[in-house]
Amino acid sequence: MAILQLEIKLNYMINFLRKYSNQINGYFFILPAVLIISLFGIFPVFFGMYMSIHKWKVFKGRFLGFENYEKILGDISSFWLFIFGLLLMIFSYWFWSEYKNKLKNLFLVFIISIISLIISLIIINYSWAIMMKKGDEDFLYSLIYVFYYSFFAITIEVGLGLLIAYSLYQKIKGKQFFQMILLFPYITPAVMGGAVFFIIFGRADNSLLNQFIGFFGFEPQIWLFDKRTLSEIFFGVKIKGFFAGPSLALTTSIFYGVWSYTGYYAIILLAGLSIIPSDLYEAAKSEGASRWQTFTKITIPLLMPIIFFLLLTGFINSFQAFNHILVMQTASAGETMDVVTIEIFDHFWDRVKFGYAAAEGVVLFVILNVLAISQYVIFRKRLSYD
Amino acid sequence: MIKSTNKELIIPYLILFIVMVVSIYPILYMISTSLMTSGEAANQYLFPKKLMFENYVEVWTSNNFQKYTINSLIVSALVVSGVLCTSIPAAYAFAKIEFPFRNIIFYSLLLSLMIPEIISLLPHLLIIRGDIFPLPFGPSWMNTLQGLTVPFFGNVFIIFLLRQYFKKIPNELWDAARMDGSSHFYFLRKIVVPMSMPIIVTVSLFAFILAWNSFAWPLLILTRDDWFPVTVSIYSSIREMGTNYNLLMAACLIAIFPVVILYFFTQKLFLESISNFGLKQ
Repeated sequence: MAILQLEIKLNYMINFLRKYSNQINGYFFILPAVLIISLFGIFPVFFGMYMSIHKWKVFKGRFLGFENYEKILGDISSFWLFIFGLLLMIFSYWFWSEYKNKLKNLFLVFIISIISLIISLIIINYSWAIMMKKGDEDFLYSLIYVFYYSFFAITIEVGLGLLIAYSLYQKIKGKQFFQMILLFPYITPAVMGGAVFFIIFGRADNSLLNQFIGFFGFEPQIWLFDKRTLSEIFFGVKIKGFFAGPSLALTTSIFYGVWSYTGYYAIILLAGLSIIPSDLYEAAKSEGASRWQTFTKITIPLLMPIIFFLLLTGFINSFQAFNHILVMQTASAGETMDVVTIEIFDHFWDRVKFGYAAAEGVVLFVILNVLAISQYVIFRKRLSYD
Repeated sequence: MIKSTNKELIIPYLILFIVMVVSIYPILYMISTSLMTSGEAANQYLFPKKLMFENYVEVWTSNNFQKYTINSLIVSALVVSGVLCTSIPAAYAFAKIEFPFRNIIFYSLLLSLMIPEIISLLPHLLIIRGDIFPLPFGPSWMNTLQGLTVPFFGNVFIIFLLRQYFKKIPNELWDAARMDGSSHFYFLRKIVVPMSMPIIVTVSLFAFILAWNSFAWPLLILTRDDWFPVTVSIYSSIREMGTNYNLLMAACLIAIFPVVILYFFTQKLFLESISNFGLKQ
């Protein structure tokens, strides 16, 4: 009797295993990856939030609440106001793109989106000024610096990338070879690449780049060691705040970013170019369009979704630029090269303020998420066309 | 492809030529400077008068450089094999096996790509120190090989790339294999992996470059130089070396050598996958 019961149970178990073998296999297959990714990829964000509301110097201290955030942002409500301003800016774009073809009264749509854009700019400006006054100036400036870095780097990268992709798209020899060389900077490790740039953009009068610009009759510069802003160098005016522009040192690190990523974007844009149907070009040619006209009237409009997409994802990625900037950082450039990641790293590595650094990280995370939302809003329709 | 006469192609060739020179120049500079005497290097000449191959020997034998390079190789090889071991089954399961919550799990993993590395760095450090929960293999992973490698064994992006490729494998193959009594694991090992060699090579290269370049993480968790990777040693020598640029460049050249070699062998696959996944992100 007992044996029979055991057999029934065993049979039942085997049937169960057979029936659900797919599921069990599936979970078994993903288990190691999911375990490691959730431990080292997802868990840290929540733990970072937990750390940010405590006093934490190497070891956990007392509960602080939002004190760290208040120290960083001045007051938290103006930060949310700032975020609201960013979202309103996205809304104005969304409203324009969504309703310009649907509503008959184009003027009204235009007015509404312009008004919301202006309001958003006022809100951003106002809340930023409050944060600047009360909050941690170093951190807020580091956000400005990383904005400079990302904005200039990604615009130049995609712009040059487009030019290169278009050149590669012509009927040229050695295309494979050029492509191989183009990706070379992309695979060069940041530390080694940074070391070379550190020498080429050296302080000495006879450093390679100074020799090069001396060839065109320019004064030698001290590049990575220079904390003067571009506006000061070019126009001789000293202004503080957002419109001062990046320092020469930060500009040099932008050069590095451009050097290492332009080829990568060129390759992606080339792939985008090759899905444009070629009869369009032939039609344009038979109409007698010049090369420049075909480029601006056919290529650019058709590539626009990809260009936009690259600009935004690249912008978000450049916000996290870290390695090469840490390598190229110099003492005399001061804090003008402290982009936000460096600032956070500095806080927990050199000054051992773990809780404070975690709070800064959470702020960065919120800002990046807003950027990602804008990416989603802008591309929700356009990306489906391929 | 646009048809054009040779005359019109001058500008594209010119652009490509300039871009090529700029792209490759830092490497050429590295090579020529590494062959100079320190005086020539400090004056930043373009070419050495006499080729100083002794520089490489000097760098290779000095300051534990040899040890650091081997460390980097060990760490990168471990990371690549670890990533492949976890990612291939996971990608296969996400692509081919039906189980509840499959898509939810996959997309929540994808969301973790949004998280900036700098935020996770701090909690990682606490995990590795064993502050949050007890770790296997010793109380703390500071200054150890497992601390350098294990956090990078899971890579969402690589799972994503592999899954895209595995999805293209026809389901009929699996049906036929199941008729013959094959298990998922056997099917994966004997059919799927050999069929997907191109993408596996590409992601291995990708993982290798990532691991070889890793810099902030080793800088954080290593307080002794037992496991220093080559990137950290070069970072610390940039400021120490003064104007001995020739030695610094020789060290850099040795350090990028493995990456460059791997790239040359796999560049075609690498290029293809960049032009594909770049669009289908």
